[in-house]
Amino acid sequence: MSVTGLAKRFGDGTDAIVAVDDVSFEVEPGSIVGLLGPNGAGKTTLIKSILGMVLPDDGTVEICGFDVYERPREAYAHVDAMLEGARNDYWRLTVRENLRYFATISGVDPNSVRERHDRLLEQLGLAEKADVPVRDLSRGMKQKVSLASVLAGGADVVFLDEPTLGLDIESSRTLQTELRRLVEHEALTVILSSHDMDVVETVCDRVLIMSEGRIVADDTVDSLLSAAGLHCIQITSTDIDAEVVSTFRSRFETVTADARDRGYRLEVTTDSDGLYELMDLLRASDVTLDHVRTIEPDLEDVFVELTTIDRRDR
Amino acid sequence: MTSRHPDSSSSPRTAGYYHLTRAVLYREYLIFVRYPANAIGGIVIALFFFGVLFYGGQMVAGQALTDSIEGIIVGYFLWTLSVGAYSSISNDISSEVQWGTLERHVMTPFGFAPVALLKGVAKIVRTFLTSTIILAVMILITGTTLQLNLLTILVVATLSIVSVLGLGLAAGGITVLYKQIGNWLNLLQFGFIVLISAPAFDLGWMRLLPLAHGSALLQRTMVDGNRLWEFTPVELALLIGVAVGYLAAGFVVFTYATRRARRLGVLGDY
Repeated sequence: MSVTGLAKRFGDGTDAIVAVDDVSFEVEPGSIVGLLGPNGAGKTTLIKSILGMVLPDDGTVEICGFDVYERPREAYAHVDAMLEGARNDYWRLTVRENLRYFATISGVDPNSVRERHDRLLEQLGLAEKADVPVRDLSRGMKQKVSLASVLAGGADVVFLDEPTLGLDIESSRTLQTELRRLVEHEALTVILSSHDMDVVETVCDRVLIMSEGRIVADDTVDSLLSAAGLHCIQITSTDIDAEVVSTFRSRFETVTADARDRGYRLEVTTDSDGLYELMDLLRASDVTLDHVRTIEPDLEDVFVELTTIDRRDR
Repeated sequence: MTSRHPDSSSSPRTAGYYHLTRAVLYREYLIFVRYPANAIGGIVIALFFFGVLFYGGQMVAGQALTDSIEGIIVGYFLWTLSVGAYSSISNDISSEVQWGTLERHVMTPFGFAPVALLKGVAKIVRTFLTSTIILAVMILITGTTLQLNLLTILVVATLSIVSVLGLGLAAGGITVLYKQIGNWLNLLQFGFIVLISAPAFDLGWMRLLPLAHGSALLQRTMVDGNRLWEFTPVELALLIGVAVGYLAAGFVVFTYATRRARRLGVLGDY
């Protein structure tokens, strides 16, 4: 899949909102790409533009060699999407009926993928519920049915918007494992949008981070973590009071503060230069350190850092 | 249509319009038999209003109403069919938006408009079943005799409501663009009463309106016993022409409106 120079603006003149700003990227077959961004960053508009749900002002999208805007029917034969979380199938039909219906809608004779459906039902723990109307299932089960119905036609590329929303930890892990299996064994390509950083960090081969309509980072999780050069320091002291916390918050982008019986425990994420500033600030505030330890920064820290820097630099 | 990548355990075959038609009709059938309350409720309400019309009219107009009861029954039968045909697409789109399934019907290799049209046709098949039950009960409670040449009734009634399906397709397109307007557009179905009772043979141009000409032919079929081959070629050509014309116009409006909705980024938003 390739996206070239995609741009979408809503409204005119000074009221215009740039939802997607000259976005280009490619996705290799058989990989999972995470799409991250704060609310309003343009993720949904980008996904809908790629799928032709929103017509962009500029740019092209090719899926499996077909231009989505010029030859949508050919492109749609290779792509499917779970855009609305749990509610993108028919709750009055049974699980298996949904799979058969949406396989047909996506251009595949359902009888020819019966084995695939059986396997999907088995692997997602839905086999026993195959003949139960979706409306009678739990939220987590409904989410799995949504995913199964998206995969029912054997699409080459699938878009998943918050696929683990509402799932318990075990179901979420099962789903992640199944996604990886499909990617590795069937060359499935997944574009996954989620606010659950753990999911993105665990399953994605690559991550795109969006801010204000643009892609501000595009790399593997490991590269993003190392390239960010971030350090997360946890400091515990009885000398830290609300005023010190406020001072820290005004100087550093990422600060979490937990009030203790006496004092606070602070977690500050910053780059190498910021470490010196941190020490100076502690000294200036007469804070005696009771306990200090370093924590490996995670994708969430990198995400917050990158989007904050992007917003500040504009 | 291009086929998908081979599955590790089975070889997917491309689905054609036959598979699509079967899937859409089967889904409609499943919902009809599994959740009959909606259909039964619709039949009861339609019969209730007919009862009010019939018994209330008898009290007010007496013999005059009884003399024209055949025409009223035929008109009411066609109206129930028309309401089903008209609301099928716009109501369906509103429901799909709320269920979050609209996008999946847009993102189909068959094309959104053909799928929406097929879903409308599936609803019409269901409407034919419920309207036939309503017709039978109306005949029973009024003790009226009608000419029931099934082939002629099926052809004339179907072609009559195809024009309304075109209007429904246009309304569906507008619903895609302005979601909340769908309920207001449903009010237009009361205008079908005017079209069905329009004096198509007195005012020639009225024959070009949806339902008017078809209603007149259906009256001649069910009241006078006319057979399909007894209509003149001009009458049949006009029936077909009006059906095709309004369907094509509805298709154009639907296609334009959905493209506009995609441009504005409101497709699927409610």
